[in-house]
Amino acid sequence: MRDLSQEEADFCIVGAGAGGGVLGAKLAEAGFSVVLIDAGPHWNPVKDFVSDELGSRKLFWTDERITGGDNPVELGSNNSGQGVGGSTVHYSMVAMRAHPKDFLRRTIEGEIQEADITDWPLKFEDLEPYYEEVEEALQIAGPTFYPWGRRRKRYPQREHELNAPAEVLVRGCSKLGIPVAAAPIATLSAPHKDRPPCVYRGFCNYGCTTNAKSSILVTYIPRAIASGAEVRANSMVAQVEHNERGLVTGVLYFRKGSRELHRQRAKNVVIAGYAVETPRLLLNSASSLFPDGLANSSGLVGKYFMVHTGEQAFAKFPQRVNQYKAPPPGGAITEHFNDTMPDTDFICGYSIEVVGPHPVDFAARLTTARKMWGADVRRTMLDYNYYSGLGIVGEVLPQMTNMVKLHKTERDQYGLPVAHVIFSHHENDKKMVAHAKGKMREILEAAGGEDVWTADRTAHLLGTCRMGSDPTTSVVNADCRSHDIPNLFICDGSVFPTSTGVNPSLTIEAIAARAADRVSDAGFFARPL
Amino acid sequence: MKEPTFHTRYRGYNVLDKWSSTDWDDQTRAVVRRRLEEIPCIRFFTSEETELLEAVAERIVPQPDRGQAEKIPIVPWIDEKLYEDKRDGYRYEEMPPQQEAWRFGLRGINETAHALFEKEFVDLDPLSQDVVLTHVERGDPPGAAWKLLPASRFFKDVLCITIVKIYYAHPLAWNEIGYNGPSSPRGHVRKWQGGVDPWEAH
Repeated sequence: MRDLSQEEADFCIVGAGAGGGVLGAKLAEAGFSVVLIDAGPHWNPVKDFVSDELGSRKLFWTDERITGGDNPVELGSNNSGQGVGGSTVHYSMVAMRAHPKDFLRRTIEGEIQEADITDWPLKFEDLEPYYEEVEEALQIAGPTFYPWGRRRKRYPQREHELNAPAEVLVRGCSKLGIPVAAAPIATLSAPHKDRPPCVYRGFCNYGCTTNAKSSILVTYIPRAIASGAEVRANSMVAQVEHNERGLVTGVLYFRKGSRELHRQRAKNVVIAGYAVETPRLLLNSASSLFPDGLANSSGLVGKYFMVHTGEQAFAKFPQRVNQYKAPPPGGAITEHFNDTMPDTDFICGYSIEVVGPHPVDFAARLTTARKMWGADVRRTMLDYNYYSGLGIVGEVLPQMTNMVKLHKTERDQYGLPVAHVIFSHHENDKKMVAHAKGKMREILEAAGGEDVWTADRTAHLLGTCRMGSDPTTSVVNADCRSHDIPNLFICDGSVFPTSTGVNPSLTIEAIAARAADRVSDAGFFARPL
Repeated sequence: MKEPTFHTRYRGYNVLDKWSSTDWDDQTRAVVRRRLEEIPCIRFFTSEETELLEAVAERIVPQPDRGQAEKIPIVPWIDEKLYEDKRDGYRYEEMPPQQEAWRFGLRGINETAHALFEKEFVDLDPLSQDVVLTHVERGDPPGAAWKLLPASRFFKDVLCITIVKIYYAHPLAWNEIGYNGPSSPRGHVRKWQGGVDPWEAH
């Protein structure tokens, strides 16, 4: 692999996940010199990933973050990765396109109190070819016909055989007349190049040891390296540097375990650290020229932090489910409730998918959601194999009061202020959650389930550097270029102006793929300014 | 109080019988071997705290069906987490850092025991211990330490969840619930409801 540490790279990309990985690979293929810097290790899945829940905590961002607000978000595990590939290393691989309406929510819904819904500066049509490009690159396995959204060509690979929780969802939905389909999944159902198809180990959320999972780590990162990019792991970027003209000049970073700062010079810097670390880095890079942090003339860096509501529901069935094997591949989905519905008192909607927590995760949910402890936990866990679960991805509305800011006193192991994440649900979110819990209960009961219970949960980290056309109300433009600093880009889930009711990875990747083309087309920007 | 009983559906199932099978790879064996054989010694808690937490853990996940030597170890792993100060990736803003939280929490449990029963927590019968813990769970227990620590948040999101996670990470717990355990590289074929591959728990 190339060593760019002593050179001025065309692009220094901070964070090698869904956004940075795709962008880095495409820019390298376009001929730019690219260094991808990631805070975590560069794993070898076959040797490093472990078939064990607690043994896999190394895949998550476990550095301290402070969480607050009326509905503080649990961080650290399912929504935060650390390492090359980012959280795609442990994501659930549900590969969904957002829908044309998702990009026009403000136009469709009008003004909503205490929320700042905006249209995206992109239309679905702008992203459509990039969705297709990324689906091809990740070899998404999906149904022959997907019933929701714009008509599309066939998925690159055939759908996975349904697993038991998916059978439950399909049975319940069918009884109730709710349309349901096999979920499109970023995991091979047939061999592709040197990667084998999925063998359904069920440890997808703890790292795939067979490389069947189309994480960024095993798809775009090898492409980036093959095209001359350097991937520098175990390097925590502390600050983005700029010159007196207000253009960025590179980054300062720590090697893991050391407090010595290193400099990477670059003509362009891309921040792709996801919706908590990205604003944290921009705010931590404040200077006399930019006292409120970089790219923050709008004051919106860190604002409009969003998640997805991720409520789950479980029920006990007479037959074994063995929820540990399989989900997500072989999952099913219904987007029947994923749009504003005429007979509800809330806007937007949610997808219902299947989940299959392993025992540690399942037992943890019994304690937090069912408030169970003592003999009840062990008694309930004796039936672990008979429970089946559903989970939603629900749109939350963007609110300026939900934010990522720097904690006033708390510092991390490098002495950097940690992120302070504030989140409270909008009334609309709460109504949607109540609706979703009711629907999941109906579906599970229609499928023959008993002892239904629900768990509050969230998934994904979005917003905090929203994209838009107006520099006073957004941080970056549709090409992920910051309004304030022409050679500073932000490319990850933070650019979402609204959250959509689907899993975000494919949209992050499509935005990154498009940004790469836009930057390449405007090639002169990558050269000295 | 009558001891609760836990009847497994999978008598004779031992996940460790698959140790040398294609369900287990080297890195997973290394992780689980350590969990079974290299129980860390206590370096963070005092001996009083250790004894107290042992008693608390026995109420959160009771193991009356196992002799002292056979119990799934809980406290040593909490101690290691705190000694090495391994964080979880988030902390509720009203909570102190984890080392303090555990210290305050244990002190608080004992203070609540004294306020309610005028005894050390460890000297109470299980029923009274549960009464103490229920007060903590509900969020307004007597005791000065609870001025420094939100009791209900500590109970649910720190104490219970940590203990339960450690318990269900142990192969003995996997046996009783019929969990397949590691599966790399073998995986599964019979994914459908009611489907059980030959190497899964029967």
